[in-house]
Amino acid sequence: MSVYDFTVKTNKGEEKSLADYKGKVLIIVNTASKCGFTPQYKELQELYDKYKEKGLEILGFPCNQFGEQEPGTNEEVQTFCRRNYGVSFQIFEKGDVRGETAQPLFKYLTAEKKFEGFDENHPIAAKLTEALKANFPEYLEGDGIKWNFTKFLIDREGNVVKRFEPTTTPSDMAADIEKLL
Amino acid sequence: MVKVYSLTSCPWCDKVKKYLKSKGVEYEERNIEESDEFLEECQKLTGDEAVPVTTIDDKNFVLGFDKAKLDELLKLSA
Repeated sequence: MSVYDFTVKTNKGEEKSLADYKGKVLIIVNTASKCGFTPQYKELQELYDKYKEKGLEILGFPCNQFGEQEPGTNEEVQTFCRRNYGVSFQIFEKGDVRGETAQPLFKYLTAEKKFEGFDENHPIAAKLTEALKANFPEYLEGDGIKWNFTKFLIDREGNVVKRFEPTTTPSDMAADIEKLL
Repeated sequence: MVKVYSLTSCPWCDKVKKYLKSKGVEYEERNIEESDEFLEECQKLTGDEAVPVTTIDDKNFVLGFDKAKLDELLKLSA
């Protein structure tokens, strides 16, 4: 079994088999709404611009199981939304990524790569843990997706190589991506 | 004529529209998801695809829901 066994829906409602991405290095990421303050979109786009020629694809799956905002960024709240999330990589249909209603792909990814804790050095780690304790304490248990922008790195054979929590900035994934390209 | 460029399910667009209504400002809504023409206009005006964008003269505009800036643009008093 690999990620190529899954079929998902694009944001235009069309079925897409992940087998279409055979031979590519993939980042599969659950993304937030197109209205919050979400700097990780910009950073993912930068990775995409840098590595797409070498075979990187980024697959974004919007989900609103985590509220509209990233935690702890109230002072930077944007009051606008962006068409197409401001990115050129593929965005799929909105759906759940954790719990019973999670899309099968995310059940598979989280079973393959377990939760190993947040990077406590990241500026949002403390706020994120606090926000989860206050609003979704059950999310802290188990291996399910904890928050927006959990990233899974997939090699050219469809194996899940690594899981990066929301507390890893996309640019810090560059070395791991380069190893696979 | 005041124009508001918007997206479907964009809470900030709704806030701008509601605010303009509360001030008795008539406006024309231009949804950039529903019309390529409106999208092009918005890109030309702002160089971006972020909304809400409010303009009265197709030159000066306010991005986002910012009451103070909207008041200034539309010469509204509190």
